[in-house]
Amino acid sequence: MNNPINLRRRIHNIIAVLYPLYFGSKYLKGKRWVLYSVISISIITSATRLLIPVLIGDAVSSIQSLNFATLEYFAILILIVSAVSGFFQFFVNYGSQYISQLYAYGMRKNIFDHLMKKKFLFFETQTSGDLLSRSTMDVDATRNFIMNTTNQLLPTLFMILFSVVFLFILDPIYSLIFIVTVPALILTGVVFQRKQRLHWRKIRTYYGDMNEELQENIVGNRVVRGFSIEDEEIKKFSSTTNSYFDEYMDVARLRGFYNNLMPLTISIAATAILLYGGYTSIINASQVGNLVAAVNIFSIMTFPISFLGRLIVFSENARAGIQRINVVLSDEMQEDIQGPNRTKHSGDLEIKNVSFQRGKRYIFRGVNLKIPQGEIVCITGKTASGKSSFVNLIPRFYEPTSGIISIGGRDISQISLSELRRTVALVPQEITLLSGTIMDNITLSDTTLSTEAVVKAARIADIGDFVDSLPEKYNTRVGERGITLSGGQRQRVAIARAIVAEPKILILDDATSSVDPETELEILKKVKEEMSGTTVLIVTHRDSAIKFADRVLRLQNGSVEEIFDITSDLKGITDGYTFNNGGDSNAA
Amino acid sequence: MPRSYEEEEEDVLKSEKGAKVFRRLVRQILSHRRDSAYLIIAVVVTAIAGTLYPLALGLAINGVINRNFTDLYIFGSAFLGFYIIQFFSNRIRTISSTGVAQKTIKELRDRAFENVQRVPVSFFGKVKTGYLISRITNDAETLSEFLTFQIPQVVSGISTVIVSISIMFYLDFNLTLYALIVIPLLSGFTVSIQRMVRRNYLRTRRTIAAITGNLAENISGIRAIKSFNVEDRMATRFDGLNNDNFEANLKAARLSSIYGAIIRVIEATGIAIVLIAGAQQLLAGAISVGILVSFVVYVQEFFDPVTQLSQLYNSYQSSMVGITRIYGIIDSTPDEGAKAGNKKVESFSGSIKFNNVSFYYGDSPALKDINIEIKKGEKIGIVGHTGAGKTTFSNLLLKFYNPTSGSIFIDGVDLKTIDTNTYRHLIAPVLQEPFMFRGSIIENIKTFFPEATDEMIIDKAKQFGLYPLFENLESGLNSEIGEMGRNLSEGQRQAISILRAFIRDPEILIMDEPTSQIDPYSEKLIISSLNSFLKGKTLILITHRFSMISLVDRVISFENGEKVEEGTFSELLNSNGVFRKMYNIQYNTGA
Ligand SMILES: Nc1ncnc2c1ncn2[C@@H]1O[C@H](COP(=O)(O)OP(=O)(O)OP(=O)(O)O)[C@@H](O)[C@H]1O
Ligand SMILES: Nc1ncnc2c1ncn2[C@@H]1O[C@H](COP(=O)(O)OP(=O)(O)OP(=O)(O)O)[C@@H](O)[C@H]1O
Ligand SMILES: [Mg+2]
Ligand SMILES: [Mg+2]
Repeated sequence: MNNPINLRRRIHNIIAVLYPLYFGSKYLKGKRWVLYSVISISIITSATRLLIPVLIGDAVSSIQSLNFATLEYFAILILIVSAVSGFFQFFVNYGSQYISQLYAYGMRKNIFDHLMKKKFLFFETQTSGDLLSRSTMDVDATRNFIMNTTNQLLPTLFMILFSVVFLFILDPIYSLIFIVTVPALILTGVVFQRKQRLHWRKIRTYYGDMNEELQENIVGNRVVRGFSIEDEEIKKFSSTTNSYFDEYMDVARLRGFYNNLMPLTISIAATAILLYGGYTSIINASQVGNLVAAVNIFSIMTFPISFLGRLIVFSENARAGIQRINVVLSDEMQEDIQGPNRTKHSGDLEIKNVSFQRGKRYIFRGVNLKIPQGEIVCITGKTASGKSSFVNLIPRFYEPTSGIISIGGRDISQISLSELRRTVALVPQEITLLSGTIMDNITLSDTTLSTEAVVKAARIADIGDFVDSLPEKYNTRVGERGITLSGGQRQRVAIARAIVAEPKILILDDATSSVDPETELEILKKVKEEMSGTTVLIVTHRDSAIKFADRVLRLQNGSVEEIFDITSDLKGITDGYTFNNGGDSNAA
Repeated sequence: MPRSYEEEEEDVLKSEKGAKVFRRLVRQILSHRRDSAYLIIAVVVTAIAGTLYPLALGLAINGVINRNFTDLYIFGSAFLGFYIIQFFSNRIRTISSTGVAQKTIKELRDRAFENVQRVPVSFFGKVKTGYLISRITNDAETLSEFLTFQIPQVVSGISTVIVSISIMFYLDFNLTLYALIVIPLLSGFTVSIQRMVRRNYLRTRRTIAAITGNLAENISGIRAIKSFNVEDRMATRFDGLNNDNFEANLKAARLSSIYGAIIRVIEATGIAIVLIAGAQQLLAGAISVGILVSFVVYVQEFFDPVTQLSQLYNSYQSSMVGITRIYGIIDSTPDEGAKAGNKKVESFSGSIKFNNVSFYYGDSPALKDINIEIKKGEKIGIVGHTGAGKTTFSNLLLKFYNPTSGSIFIDGVDLKTIDTNTYRHLIAPVLQEPFMFRGSIIENIKTFFPEATDEMIIDKAKQFGLYPLFENLESGLNSEIGEMGRNLSEGQRQAISILRAFIRDPEILIMDEPTSQIDPYSEKLIISSLNSFLKGKTLILITHRFSMISLVDRVISFENGEKVEEGTFSELLNSNGVFRKMYNIQYNTGA
């Protein structure tokens, strides 16, 4: 303590306990006065609560001196003071709930809005379980702390102050005894906090592990069963819950000691007062009222003070939660999703000297390309050559490292995202259907779409007949991630979802890989017929689709080469890796 | 099982089910004998010490009034003594209650997880992932507060009330009756608003569940949401749910705040009554001032357990709902494949035979009257339009589902009666949807083959022509693949799936479109490595890729859940069926 820096750090540590309240108060917008009123009112409730033991003491003195007139007076006063205290307590309780819920509401909204604005890259750095727990558990940890601070911690602190004052009025020595305990209490709290911090951190980590293991084993249940590794996974999970248990027990041992040390400290002081006060009363032959009042004050304080220990844990959890929330709230990896969105651009696509990097590695460099509106272009290339990366640049799911992509002559980085993404529809390789009905999924982009439009899109995507064969047709629920559909059905619902809004550029990123070639060709034909004027980019490995295209591009060694266009002959490309006549060789 | 949140909640709260579940929980808690014995002793000792100290205080005060130093010192020390006893007993209570609680929770989680591994695959079609996860993590966690703090609190509260009332009666019968006047008031008031409290409380739970569900859906569907630029609409929807929750909570808060305020007034009434009645008793010479002081403290101490009990009620409810669900998971019927009487198999020597097999998902047929025989060592190709039932066929073969009618025979034994675990040891699947665990590619493989070494994995990857697919990754096979392999290209994910199956070196290989996203060149490398690998193995290969057909001896085509063709490649090519049409589309101009 003699070192000033050390001292400052300690003071900082103590103040840091309250940080979540400060953090939360920023989300109260316009309602901060509620917080201030709650704090002010809690001064009143603290004072009135402590007044009661004093009045009881006075009442006891009246009884001792057999003065029943004043006894009645004090009894009524106790009732009145309690009524006043109860009245104000209502505001403290309700107010603290109000602001903590307001915080939770505002914070969840804020997190949600931020999540919606995050770039794709962000979601690659975070697991979904983590994101979910940030918006639920972590927000709740802060909310819990705010509530408990405003209706417990602050009143307790005020009560400590008032105790000093009241005890001083009763007898200066009483308050001196009390004051001596305060540093001891704070020290206990600080040591307790420091000792358990590491354990809580570990508990949270193991909790996260538990979540992830569960998620993986549930989503991957078929693989786990297919390879019969159930028992290994059970063992792994059990060892995680074991570590979790061990940490909890360590915390319990700390809590068992420090948390109970606080009330013990208080009661030692109370005993000191009892003995000292009793001794002086006997010597001075004075009334016991003051002594009773003082001891009563202590017994009222025991519970709130022992609760302080739990508040420290709450604060610890809240601060860890805030740290994790801040990752979502930071401005990093945000994109601007606002902006005008009524116009659709033409389907002319131009790519100028575009390079793309992931980490330190270039996926492709210096790609130049021009695709006029209405053309159907196939993109091929080896696995992991960067096809998906390439097409994902067009709706700006990723940003190119350098170079310019323009649509209808306008640089896409200058077009608002909402406009861009209305113009470009991309069906990704990995489909995510939402767990609603088929209708909900197809009308995702626009709930006001007419049934005709939906039916038409479904027909083009060649899923219409299947949907009609279902008892509930478009109102059939698809289950979580579309689990009740076959692989190809899922892909075709996703295609319908993309074309229903009539984009100018349609990108199919191997979106028919689970669809048989015949159906695939049907889809492509209908797209060509019924969506003429739409530029279509198809990432594919299939010969049938490639033959359908106006032009074929190949991504290779980080660059794009044109291997076939409408004017040239088919034969030129069969020597590449793209085509394979494996079937023939077997026919022999 | 996956009924609505409300239904479940109402169910638990209304019927005797809640009590039954509670009894089961208590039995489970008590099965940790040592901890619960310590806990009970600690709680009772704490409660007794807690009720004796006001008496010591009163007697010490009496000593002061009677100017008796010895009494003051003796009872003053006793006063402290009871606190010291409380310190030690509370310490034991804290540790043993955490022990009991966390052991119970661990047990619940482990058992739930274990059963999640034992239930049939169809279970996962009925229950959402998020639901299961939050039951096993969140709900179990809610229990922690209940078991660690609240249950001991009830026990201690009840013992406190009993012991202090006895002491009070012992001290002065009449004054005790006066002191207890407020109890009916207190409990009448508490009971009368309980219904309202419960209704409000249920609403807060329901609305927060809606928030969590909505969030989970939005996070998992974020790519689709961003692609279609519907962020704002999703935000509006979320805001609605968020607001419902806010309002539900405020309503509940209003009620509980009023409750808190009124309790305080009732408490003061109690004190006032004791003071005034106490004065009469004092006059009558029945009690001393010190005893009156003890009474005042006792009255104050009544209120803590009672208010705690009323708060406990909410916690009890949510814990019971949570625990009912966890028990629900633990009690879900496990797959029959592990039944004791099932036949364990060591090898596959004869044939796989589908005998009039039909399969329905609910009411809709996915496979109809399938008859197929596959001999050991045969290589079978399966083709068919999307939705024809190919994956379903492989699911039956993997015993993920049992046929709705008809039977599958493995070496003449009905698959239903074969021990699933030993059976699956003969098989390696490549599923249509590649799935991977977190970690690096190598770690991923090791999850399945803990004894595999890095070198061996790399060797295998090279042997099967898969290695080049990972060459352009920054750290090759040691690269982190992200959640569910998201940081890989789709083809790379399929490659991992394939590698996993090949390393298993099974007798039966079942592959569902293993190379649909792999480029033909890489595919060729894989195919060419397979000739020697597949020797003696039985292969069932679902594919739309005719290049893969070179691997198979016989092709079966499915259409609308029925087997429509069967024969060698050239036989089917010469007949005029589905197969030929598909072939033509891939190799001719699409006419
Ligand atoms: N879990 C499920 N619940 C309900 N219906 C299902 C489920 N899984 C598949 N189906 C339905 O059963 C039928 C056959 O599906 P299956 O997955 O076997 O087709 P598939 O031949 O593998 O098709 P694809 O080539 O598109 O993968 C489809 O109509 C599908 O909608
Ligand atoms: N989210 C990601 N984070 C890090 N690396 C990635 C990510 N997505 C892809 N990659 C890497 O970038 C490279 C190009 O991947 P991309 O998905 O663009 O290939 P692709 O040509 O579409 O392959 P496929 O035919 O398998 O779909 C691969 O090496 C891949 O591992
Ligand atoms: Mg790709
Ligand atoms: Mg399938």
